[in-house]
Amino acid sequence: MAIQIDPENNETRALFDLADFSGQHVLEIGCGDGRLTWRYGDEAARVTGIDPNADRIARARENMPHELRGRVQFHHISFQDFANSSKSSVFDRVILSWSL
Amino acid sequence: MVHALEEIHRLLKPDGYLIEIHPILETPLVKVFDGSTILFVGPYPGYDYEEDLRQAENALQQIVQRQLLVIERISEFDFLTYGSSIAELQDFWGEPAEAREAELYAQVEKIMQAARNGAKVALHERTRISRLMPMRS
Repeated sequence: MAIQIDPENNETRALFDLADFSGQHVLEIGCGDGRLTWRYGDEAARVTGIDPNADRIARARENMPHELRGRVQFHHISFQDFANSSKSSVFDRVILSWSL
Repeated sequence: MVHALEEIHRLLKPDGYLIEIHPILETPLVKVFDGSTILFVGPYPGYDYEEDLRQAENALQQIVQRQLLVIERISEFDFLTYGSSIAELQDFWGEPAEAREAELYAQVEKIMQAARNGAKVALHERTRISRLMPMRS
């Protein structure tokens, strides 16, 4: 049996209960292999996913659904380095999932 | 952690918000299922993140006290990760098994072997999700 993460979709339901991603520019910190990104990415206008783990970012890029290409970008970078190179007030949504 | 939240505050548009998700400070449970029947429930002894979680909660509390971010909504949900054995779950997390987990391993494996084919084991984490809005001075 392959590992199954939240097959009940409890996390997705809780996420959509609190957040609206329609047409929004989203920063996902600690996006890992894109597990959560795939759940909301089709609603967002743009998603920037960052993670300091190169293997996970490689998996995210490899597994990206075709319909999200061009809309979702993954970067192998620490949050501090990303923040240092980012302007202020650019994101509508920031997701910090299991990463603080 | 506090600095990371300060940076998030800076990166957010004034009408944007942060969604923060983390397990609550409660020992996760190991559960063994046979179909919809729960055969075993016990605390997971290999969980070493209490201090990290405590620091994360303290950082959030500081940011809220300083009124950089305001909690608009908060809720909790059950987050389960399933595998065919605890060893498989730990392989997935990349965590080495420790001696204190041996007893649990043996107990769970025995229960799973006695169950019908298709028994599975899960780590059950109670998880908190919050929506925080940036405040501008």
